[in-house]
Amino acid sequence: MIDINRRAFLRRGGIGLAATLTSGLWFDLLARGAVPPPSATLFEERFGVTREQMRAILASALSKGGDFSELYFEYKIRNSVRMEEDIIKDSSENITLGVGIRVLKGAQTGYGYTDDITFEKMKRTALTAAAIAAGTSRLSVADLTQKVSPLQVYDLQTPMKDVLLKAKVEMVKLAYTAAQSHDKRITKVQAGLMDEIQYVTIANSEGLIISDARPQVVLFVSSTAEENGVRNTGFKAAGGRTGQDFFLKTETPASIGNAASADAITLLSAIDPPAGEQPVVLGSLQSGVMIHEAVGHPLEADGNRKKTSIMWDKLGQQVANPIVTIYDDPTIPHHSGSMNVDDEGTIPTKTMLIEKGKLVGFLQDRLSAKLMNMDPNGHGRRASYRDVPIPRMANTVLGTGDAAVEDIIKSVKKGFFAETYQGGQVSDSGKFTFSVNMGYLIEDGKLTRPVKNATLIGTNVQILNEVEMIANDTRYFLGTCGKEGQSASVTAGTPTLKLRQMTVGGRS
Amino acid sequence: MSTPALLALAEELVAFGRKNGASQAEVLVRQGTEFSVDVREGEIEKLTEADSNGLTLRVFVDGKMARASSSDLSGETLHRLMANAIDRARLSSADPLAGLPEKNPLAIDVAALKIYDPALLDMPPEKKIAAARETEAICLADKRIKKSFGAGYRTNVGATLLANSNGFSGSYTRTSCSCYVYLQAGEGSNLFDEGWGDESPFLGRLETPEEIARKALHRVTRLIGGRKVETQNVPVVLEPPMTGSLLSFLFNCVNGNSIYLKQSFLAGKVGEQVGNELVTIIDDGTLPEGIGTKPFDAEGVPTQKTVVMEKGILRSYLMDTYAARKLGMKSTGNASGANNLYLAAGTSTPDEIIKSVSKGLLLTGTIGFGLVPTTGDISRGAFGLWIENGEIAFPVSEITISGNLGQILRGIQMVGNDLKFKDSITGPTMKIAEMTVGGK
Repeated sequence: MIDINRRAFLRRGGIGLAATLTSGLWFDLLARGAVPPPSATLFEERFGVTREQMRAILASALSKGGDFSELYFEYKIRNSVRMEEDIIKDSSENITLGVGIRVLKGAQTGYGYTDDITFEKMKRTALTAAAIAAGTSRLSVADLTQKVSPLQVYDLQTPMKDVLLKAKVEMVKLAYTAAQSHDKRITKVQAGLMDEIQYVTIANSEGLIISDARPQVVLFVSSTAEENGVRNTGFKAAGGRTGQDFFLKTETPASIGNAASADAITLLSAIDPPAGEQPVVLGSLQSGVMIHEAVGHPLEADGNRKKTSIMWDKLGQQVANPIVTIYDDPTIPHHSGSMNVDDEGTIPTKTMLIEKGKLVGFLQDRLSAKLMNMDPNGHGRRASYRDVPIPRMANTVLGTGDAAVEDIIKSVKKGFFAETYQGGQVSDSGKFTFSVNMGYLIEDGKLTRPVKNATLIGTNVQILNEVEMIANDTRYFLGTCGKEGQSASVTAGTPTLKLRQMTVGGRS
Repeated sequence: MSTPALLALAEELVAFGRKNGASQAEVLVRQGTEFSVDVREGEIEKLTEADSNGLTLRVFVDGKMARASSSDLSGETLHRLMANAIDRARLSSADPLAGLPEKNPLAIDVAALKIYDPALLDMPPEKKIAAARETEAICLADKRIKKSFGAGYRTNVGATLLANSNGFSGSYTRTSCSCYVYLQAGEGSNLFDEGWGDESPFLGRLETPEEIARKALHRVTRLIGGRKVETQNVPVVLEPPMTGSLLSFLFNCVNGNSIYLKQSFLAGKVGEQVGNELVTIIDDGTLPEGIGTKPFDAEGVPTQKTVVMEKGILRSYLMDTYAARKLGMKSTGNASGANNLYLAAGTSTPDEIIKSVSKGLLLTGTIGFGLVPTTGDISRGAFGLWIENGEIAFPVSEITISGNLGQILRGIQMVGNDLKFKDSITGPTMKIAEMTVGGK
């Protein structure tokens, strides 16, 4: 069964994402601490693809009558270090290099990609993509003019690419040791560091050429605790489009290790959740996943253009309690989902989705914006050069309210408090779940016993109207979002909030 | 590059690694040709054609490991990656159990596996587009269908080549074709999405557009009007795709890596009765025409038929070479994950299973991630049909199901005779004695 229609948010981490940079000659182009030179089109210098060649390929792509053609060059180096059972098990260096060639004809897309970026091969690939149209060339390709993003949303002060592998190994060891020595009941620890740098150049038939160099780093720890035959696993990851300083100032390796182990220990005494409808308080730590699933995905423009999203006919309508304001902001400095430029060359902007309960906008890419006669807002993203851009979230946020966290918890006589998550998932029809790794019972206005592995389920239309109280203690959850088989790094932020009622899945 | 040329490239890179300080080296290359078409409301929405390469390598320097991968197969990049990996390996810790598999003569008749269909190479794109269009058109003719998310047709031809410094050198090519459609039905804000897709190495084995459309229509229309039920403990019947989903979770719990890390409730339980006698679970990488069939795994270990559970007794974990050495066992050829993992068929018909339930849930779909291998706990969002007095009564949605895999394995009451190998992880219809349904 091919499951194409689920959108998911998974907490960041795991070995697949683990990683470290060794120096490649490619990095010589970027001086320590410097912002990448905006005029440099990296693929011209490093791989010898000239602008004349780019124009010729764009023209081949339009040769059957397409409306628009585009080249997406990607060069990414991702490195990782992994520690388990008290030793550094391995390290890895992964290179992604290729070009994706896209042709648009009305609402139709022709796509080809290749990892062989010789002129001849790219030209052949362009002709394959061109075949989405079945006529003759109607448009010429404009002269390519370098555009520079006014944004600089990455922390380039202490880039991971300049950190020696030895120092990265030390960071992983610090996190590992902190997790292991947190409590004698911790029996197994895994820790890993992943960092990458992704260079992209986008050129299109309208004459745009723009480049970006995006760093990304994550340090994660998974801890297993055991007592009296009961075993549980806690998890913590931290990072973003940032550098080594983040792990000295914001979240230290030790704090990450301790947080994972603290969860594992708390879970030892956790009970199964009480099943059924009840008031639910979403803690600020990771509950951004709710905003991501319940609001973000249904407001991606593609599902609304195709009228498959439950929200497609609700623009301008009051869809939530007036205390609810939700936006997506790819320009928040150093966040995991932030971008100077999206994967189609659009400069991203903070995009209001729900303002005081009213639906005011969608997350747009170029194609949907054009077909819906709206402006693109820089949310066209792709997992790699092998994928077409689609509307995606970046950093999705629920605006703050004026309630105090204590008052929110005090207001619940009997209910559930959600703290950490495995992730969430939503269908186009708006039905979603969040998988809570750890939470607490609320009894008489107080957090009491820890609760493990609960599922919350609802529909987005309903949950937006169940938001009763919002605090102002916003925190962000680091995650990987999956849509149509493409993954994207995102964050989701929320303050503590109260839902009048939600179905909690548990045991009885 | 041709397959022999790619294999020669892999062998050359292994030799380069050995010459430059690697005690052992392994190079795996994948080469693929992809065609995919997505149609929606009768029009082509996206057409993709591409070929791609990917190479991964591992080196060991005195028991210290490093890995690398690249989509760029230029000699300069590959030599640099290999040299970097040898340098980096020295910063890993020595692990006496790390290393390549022992030399293992590959005596598998690849042709007998039936994973390659030359007819697929000759199928013109127009026919693939027509099949996707036809599948969707049949569905859209049904008035109960509100929207189509689209239908698609994909073909892949993929070569896998592996060389290592223990003298292994081998390759195989598999073909794959698949067709799917995904639909929306329902009223107002109570909408449901469901669909159906089929995959096979052989064009002639793929379900026809009519069959796929009929199944997709059945799967989505039966959910219309779904509602919550009261929270209660009831028997749960799993349709074959749901049995497959449960087995995917079980794989995480018998995967050798989870076992040696003690992140599975089944760690240390080989030889113990962990399920009842209806439970026989097998992984078979040699199953002819299987979606997960391959002559050797990602380390070059020949795949095999492994009995994981036999009448409820845990017989074996599924392991790669390293996990097997950690556990004092032998690799089961699972370095690429599960091959074809399935719950062996029982004797009951799906009808008999439903008829045996006086009140319970027929589970047809789940959503969410609440699966914890360490404990075996399961908690997910669920869709399905309510069963009363042995008959389907009404659709249910927005409920949750919770249980524990250990308890489920001991509480399987009936296993269906409807096992089909349509997925690499699969099983027949089955009935679980009790799970908690969370609703009102």
